[in-house]
Amino acid sequence: MDLKDIKAIIDLMRKNSISEFELERQDFKIKLKRGSAGGAATAYEDGSTITYAAPLPLPGGIALPSPASAQSAPSNELEIKSPMIGTFYRAPSPESASYVEVGTEVNPETVVCIIEAMKVMNEIKAEARGVITQVMLDNAKPVEFGQPLFKIRPS
Amino acid sequence: MFEKVLVANRGEIAVRIIRACKELNVRTVAVYSEADANSMHVQLADEAICIGKAAANESYLRIDRIISAAEIADVDAIHPGYGFLSENAHFADVCESCNIRFIGPNSRAMNALEDKAVSRALAKKAGVPIPPGSEGVVDSEQDALAVAKRIGYPVMIKAIAGGGGRGMRVAHNDISLVKGFYTARTEAEKAFGNSGVYIEKFIENPHHIEFQILGDNKGNIIHLGERDCSIQRRNQKLVEEAPSPLIETKFRKLREKMGKAAYRIAAEANYTNAGTVEFIVDNQGNFYFLEMNKRIQVEHAITEEVTGIDLVRYQIMIAMGEPLRHSQSDIQIKGHAIECRINAEDPFDDFRPSPGRIEMYYQPGGRGIRVDSHAYAGYNIPSAYDSMIGKLVTYGKDRREAMDKMSRALSEYMITGVKTTISFQQAILQDPNFRRGVYSTTFIEQLLSGARRELLEEKA
Repeated sequence: MDLKDIKAIIDLMRKNSISEFELERQDFKIKLKRGSAGGAATAYEDGSTITYAAPLPLPGGIALPSPASAQSAPSNELEIKSPMIGTFYRAPSPESASYVEVGTEVNPETVVCIIEAMKVMNEIKAEARGVITQVMLDNAKPVEFGQPLFKIRPS
Repeated sequence: MFEKVLVANRGEIAVRIIRACKELNVRTVAVYSEADANSMHVQLADEAICIGKAAANESYLRIDRIISAAEIADVDAIHPGYGFLSENAHFADVCESCNIRFIGPNSRAMNALEDKAVSRALAKKAGVPIPPGSEGVVDSEQDALAVAKRIGYPVMIKAIAGGGGRGMRVAHNDISLVKGFYTARTEAEKAFGNSGVYIEKFIENPHHIEFQILGDNKGNIIHLGERDCSIQRRNQKLVEEAPSPLIETKFRKLREKMGKAAYRIAAEANYTNAGTVEFIVDNQGNFYFLEMNKRIQVEHAITEEVTGIDLVRYQIMIAMGEPLRHSQSDIQIKGHAIECRINAEDPFDDFRPSPGRIEMYYQPGGRGIRVDSHAYAGYNIPSAYDSMIGKLVTYGKDRREAMDKMSRALSEYMITGVKTTISFQQAILQDPNFRRGVYSTTFIEQLLSGARRELLEEKA
């Protein structure tokens, strides 16, 4: 494989939003990984949510949107955001089933998860009516104030 | 050795603490409100956790959220900075009970100095002069009048839970005393949640001189000399210097006398970590204890410059259990340092706060210039917090050199997009009385009343 081929692969990766490419042959092995531009907000693949800050605005003064208030959901979806800091649990206990899954219908009083802070388990309510369309992070991960937990398609 | 420290503050002091931690190879965790997502301390820390909405009582004052953040980030210690929870004994207790070291005085020392009335009693016990005044809290109009009769007018009515220069009123006669007594109590209740007031003799044209204290957990206490903070507007410090020109030129012996008094206050309170003992000094060289601030202060930087000692680093070391490495005789005051607090306020419009976006930002540099700031070009100064955007500190071999550098540095400072106090501080540095080192806490008032006509004309 020569440099022209590698450049072609990189180009294909970019065009098709592929972030990782690995090829192994008898005589050689290549692994290409696309870095995120300018320092991403999420640092870990496992969904761990203690984040590195977004990069500074450019000297021209292009201010970055505040991560906590950025509305990343499409206009017909709502986000359930964390009202506190702690550890996110999807079920009332390790043996139980999760409170909600993708597709679960919720009303404002439905408990969607637990956030544990200082040994106190806090039940978090949906406070919206609709259907869960996405679970935004894994079980037992730390959460900060304002962090999106679930996406809901309101009914 | 701490592995991780959480900085429970924001702005320039959070940056200061993060710097000290990095130099000690300690990892840092920043907490921030939604209004501070683009703030410098968030950028510089190793980790950052959002703890709430902009309002301080929904974020930086939320003990539960800060402790939760400390838990999920698994920190060893918390540095509270100044303001916010830095002098909250309950917060210090909560930290300790969660096995998190609080980088500041122990809660017993905080309680021994918990309000101004209690502190006055402690000073009396320590044999340190206090301004004549009430024995403790004044509960009734009759008591207030009796105290005023005993000590003579003018008097000051002060909130026992007041701080940062707030919660004080002057009365010159019985009528204004009674009126002031009731208003002060109402204001104190609203501002500090405590309506308690006490009465002190009002010392005219006082000089505000404070002493930096350091104490370790083994009972060793030293002072690091004085700072003169008399340049105040409405009890808010604007310019500070070390050493005090009053002491240097008129009352040389006061340094040792007041230093010893500061030591006795700290010792009586069994004080640990960093703190500051505040005194007022009259024109005859009599000094009186005012209060002790149980935290690192904004103006700590000028003491660092003239002593060569990193105070925030010392705070962290003391919290880790290290004994003091300096004895009193090791402390040397060399040269002269001046600090200007750069506030986003419009000096031509009664110092109205000027939040908003900084367009252009260029800070001064060169030999003997230190800038402690979280500001940068493009930074949006939130309106939810105080207006200080940085501290400009100059150091010279003598006062003359420090002043010349300060004038030069102020003129070099370029900030556009928001108003700042820089032009006002340039005027202070040019003022002949300031340059002679002859000023008291009435300085700014006099400067403003003299200058008002010109400022008004400029505005028109």
